[in-house]
Amino acid sequence: MSCHDARESLSAFLDEALAPDERQRVAQHLEGCPECRRELTRLEQTVALLHRVEPVRAPVGFVDAVTAAARPRPWYRRVAAAVFLPFSVKLPAEATAVVMVALLAVYVFERTPALQESARTQPEVREDPREKTARPAPPTVLTDRFARDSSSGERSPESKARSLEKEQDRREAPAAPRLDAAPPVAAPPAATAPAAPAAPAPGATPPASKVEGALEKSQAENRQAPAPPSAEGSRGAPAAPASPRLAAKRAAPSADAVTGIAVRDRDAAERDLAELIARVGGRETGRRREEDATIVEAVVPQSRYAEFTQSLTRIGAWRVEAERPDLPAQVHVILRLQ
Amino acid sequence: VEAGDAPRFLDRLRAGETTAFEELVITYQHRVFGVAVRMLGNAAEAQEVAQEAFLRAHRGLAEFRGDAKLSTWLYAITSRLCLNRLATAERRLHRQGEETLLRLAGGEWPDAAVERGEVEAALHRAIAELPEDRRIVVVLRDLEGLSYEEIAEVLDLELGTVRSRLHRARADLKDKLERFLP
Repeated sequence: MSCHDARESLSAFLDEALAPDERQRVAQHLEGCPECRRELTRLEQTVALLHRVEPVRAPVGFVDAVTAAARPRPWYRRVAAAVFLPFSVKLPAEATAVVMVALLAVYVFERTPALQESARTQPEVREDPREKTARPAPPTVLTDRFARDSSSGERSPESKARSLEKEQDRREAPAAPRLDAAPPVAAPPAATAPAAPAAPAPGATPPASKVEGALEKSQAENRQAPAPPSAEGSRGAPAAPASPRLAAKRAAPSADAVTGIAVRDRDAAERDLAELIARVGGRETGRRREEDATIVEAVVPQSRYAEFTQSLTRIGAWRVEAERPDLPAQVHVILRLQ
Repeated sequence: VEAGDAPRFLDRLRAGETTAFEELVITYQHRVFGVAVRMLGNAAEAQEVAQEAFLRAHRGLAEFRGDAKLSTWLYAITSRLCLNRLATAERRLHRQGEETLLRLAGGEWPDAAVERGEVEAALHRAIAELPEDRRIVVVLRDLEGLSYEEIAEVLDLELGTVRSRLHRARADLKDKLERFLP
């Protein structure tokens, strides 16, 4: 046996863990090898040192901690956990679900014009659902609504104001028409229309009031912007308006048609529109650029108005948002390019 | 056959008798904790592992076949838990660098041992510095007094592997503890 093999077995030799024949061979090698004997002695001393290590004791309270952790919970605790624990999960989940459903209902109501209309219990004339779902939405006819509200006497002015504000909040502001560019169409002052007790009933709405409503709305939506000085001047307002909304009402001009045009390039569209207006023998009476739309006001001869609107197709996707059924000889049209 | 391995006691344990389990913990707590603390070098961590070992034993008592000694079974559970934890800890320590490893080797447990003497402190440090697979063998053999066969069973190793690992562990310790040898 070599020293290497013998040393590999010294540890087991020491522990008397070798098979008898192997033990015999190691013993024979050790008799003739002082180096390996010395190695065995060192190993033996090392093991003796290890045996001197004091036994470790578990910390005080260890048994109690283990048995407490291992102890099954009493039956009443398990029953209580089974019965009540789910509530701690269920109740917040249910509360959250209720809140979510409520929020969803409000959201759907806000985003669905049909629901709002049915809530008002009055059918809307010329209501186009796309008008309200499209963003930015065009101005809609409000005067009729006000007229109905006023005639029915069911809603207070405050509620009408809230209704108007609500409408405004849901829309991005379109441009207010410039009043100094009012067309030569005779129309009653808008401010009187909503409050007039003798306002026409639904279905008998004078055509002018509808378009005015759109314009009035358009104006009202821009109440954040200062009203053009010419508005007050042209109307000769006797006193300062009590609110921007009232000012808008008083300053509301009249128009015969409001058309929204979705364009890709507003600059090009403005040029094309100017050309079109000129081509049909009309004239541009005003233009205002806003952040998201350009408002162009024009007067177009009624004889070529149909041609005019059809030609708008070349500029962009257009939609008549409000239009007087009996157009005058000179049609005052407001176009919103966006 | 140890007292804890008496058939009557095993029956009580398997039946889920609370006092039987308490007796089991009382009987083996120091051995289980001892292996854990020598393997982990940290008393708090060792207590946690020792408690977990007993709880696992408690859950598995119904399946304990009784063909091994209870102590062997408990050592097996404890050793596995320690080695698993060290494998996780070692990965963490490798990332933190060797300095942390050395700090662990000279951590809470060896520091406490310093008070009991330089030799014992050196012993603990030397044991702590052994590779884990050798450390567990030398702990089970020279500190816990298990036979080669029991160690092979506890660690699920071949007898020859136990022998060679033990020999290398002792040789390592001999070199490290040279100055304390007569």
